[in-house]
Amino acid sequence: MIHVSKAYEGNPNALFDISLKVEKGQFIYLVGSNGAGKTTLLKLLYAAERPTAGEIWVNGFEVARLAPRKIPYLRRTLGLVFQDLKLLPRRTAYENIAFALEAVGAERGEVVKKANQALRWVALERRASCLPSQLSAGEQQRLAIARAIVNDPVLLLADEPTGNLSITAAEETIRLFEKINLRGTTVVLATHNEGLPAMWPKEKIVLDQGKLTDCAASSLCPAAEGPGAA
Amino acid sequence: MGMKGYFFRQARQNLIQNPWPNAITLGTITLSFLILGLFLVLFLNTKGLLEEWGGRIRVTAYLGGSPGQEQLTRLREKVRGFEEVREVKVRSKEEALKVLEEKMPERKELLRGLPRNPLPASLEIRLKGEYQSSEGVQSLVRKLRENPEIEDVQYGSDWLERFSAFMALLKGLGLGLGALLLLSTIIVISNTIRLNIFARREEIEIMRSVGATGLFIRAPFYLEGLLQGLLGAVLALALLFALFQLFLNKVYEPLKSLLGNYPAQFLSLEQMAAVALGGLVLGLFGTQASVGRYLRL
Repeated sequence: MIHVSKAYEGNPNALFDISLKVEKGQFIYLVGSNGAGKTTLLKLLYAAERPTAGEIWVNGFEVARLAPRKIPYLRRTLGLVFQDLKLLPRRTAYENIAFALEAVGAERGEVVKKANQALRWVALERRASCLPSQLSAGEQQRLAIARAIVNDPVLLLADEPTGNLSITAAEETIRLFEKINLRGTTVVLATHNEGLPAMWPKEKIVLDQGKLTDCAASSLCPAAEGPGAA
Repeated sequence: MGMKGYFFRQARQNLIQNPWPNAITLGTITLSFLILGLFLVLFLNTKGLLEEWGGRIRVTAYLGGSPGQEQLTRLREKVRGFEEVREVKVRSKEEALKVLEEKMPERKELLRGLPRNPLPASLEIRLKGEYQSSEGVQSLVRKLRENPEIEDVQYGSDWLERFSAFMALLKGLGLGLGALLLLSTIIVISNTIRLNIFARREEIEIMRSVGATGLFIRAPFYLEGLLQGLLGAVLALALLFALFQLFLNKVYEPLKSLLGNYPAQFLSLEQMAAVALGGLVLGLFGTQASVGRYLRL
């Protein structure tokens, strides 16, 4: 991200002059209170929003100027874990994952194989036929993560994944992200909980009222010089 | 194959997920096409009937006095030269009397007893196909009346005019009603697709987030609209055929001789194919109306 700003009507500085570089394989926290601009920043990364100014490069795509018909191809390189999970309530755990594969045109055999693999990866293979409502909060979170990684993303973006979880479930979730990161997937985890980086230390950037703070101390805030990972 | 299978599964799921709106849509499409089909069958058969009757349209020009053979031949050639005319038959006074005698054998003696032949000589004129209409007949009659040797012209104009007017009314009504029905059907289809889009909005959001292309997301809705249109049209044709058979057996058969034994016809294969295609086009338009508005990706 190079000098990226985002203005909304009534909020001219939702994000202001953000320059940020995340290398492939990193695990970073994006910390900030509610309304600091974390979700906006993530949305810019997966092209759900366009920046008002600046350049954004993600996995080789220039996101700020990406043609709408090319957005799906950017998103295929990403895994998204939403704050509200967005699980399909009338579909089983297995079907929720299979759906993400089918949506990108995977063949049936591949769907079965990869969906089961993903369920195993998040230790939900025994809950495959359960509906989301029959799963605990932690299991639902793991299911959402499984769906996000089933298409082997290069970059995983997670918005408040531990927000509604108990300490134990939050730890499980962070461990899962670490495991995913070890596979080589870059992880960006947005959270308002400053305790997370304290308990499970990683690189972090802090957003406050749309601006990056503590940037000088971080390797993530280079002098803007060209296309990077994000 | 996998992708096609997926589209069909999704389309089927859409249909199952909202059974009532979809059933109502299918019913509406079927009803619309049934009404249109009824008009089409009625129109085609009336047209066919009129054409057959038109073949029997005869204009008879009665000549004054007692024209000689030479005069009759000259007149025949003149009338034959008119653009409306296909065939002219000359009937002399004597021939006319003979025909009357044949038609009324019981009055034969009476007719023979007449001091002189009261029947006029005449020209019996048949029209070319393209002039077998009220206008064609009128135009010929005007030309004939300009001729002083012709005393009177007779033609079955009343029924012809009434029939032409009826045909025009039928055509206008069919077209007007058809346009209205098609438009309302498009709206109904579009509304059902909108409901389906709404019912699947969570799935659509997830599909977008994992990188499904716009085409991939829209395809099941198009498929659904096309299927509904096609199914509705085919159902309407089946119902129409059943109604047609019922009409033939119960209503038309006893009346057939009154209508000159005209063989009532159902739609041709091409016309049925056109109706089915119409169903597809309607489905496409209906889907497009909703997808274009509610599924901008």
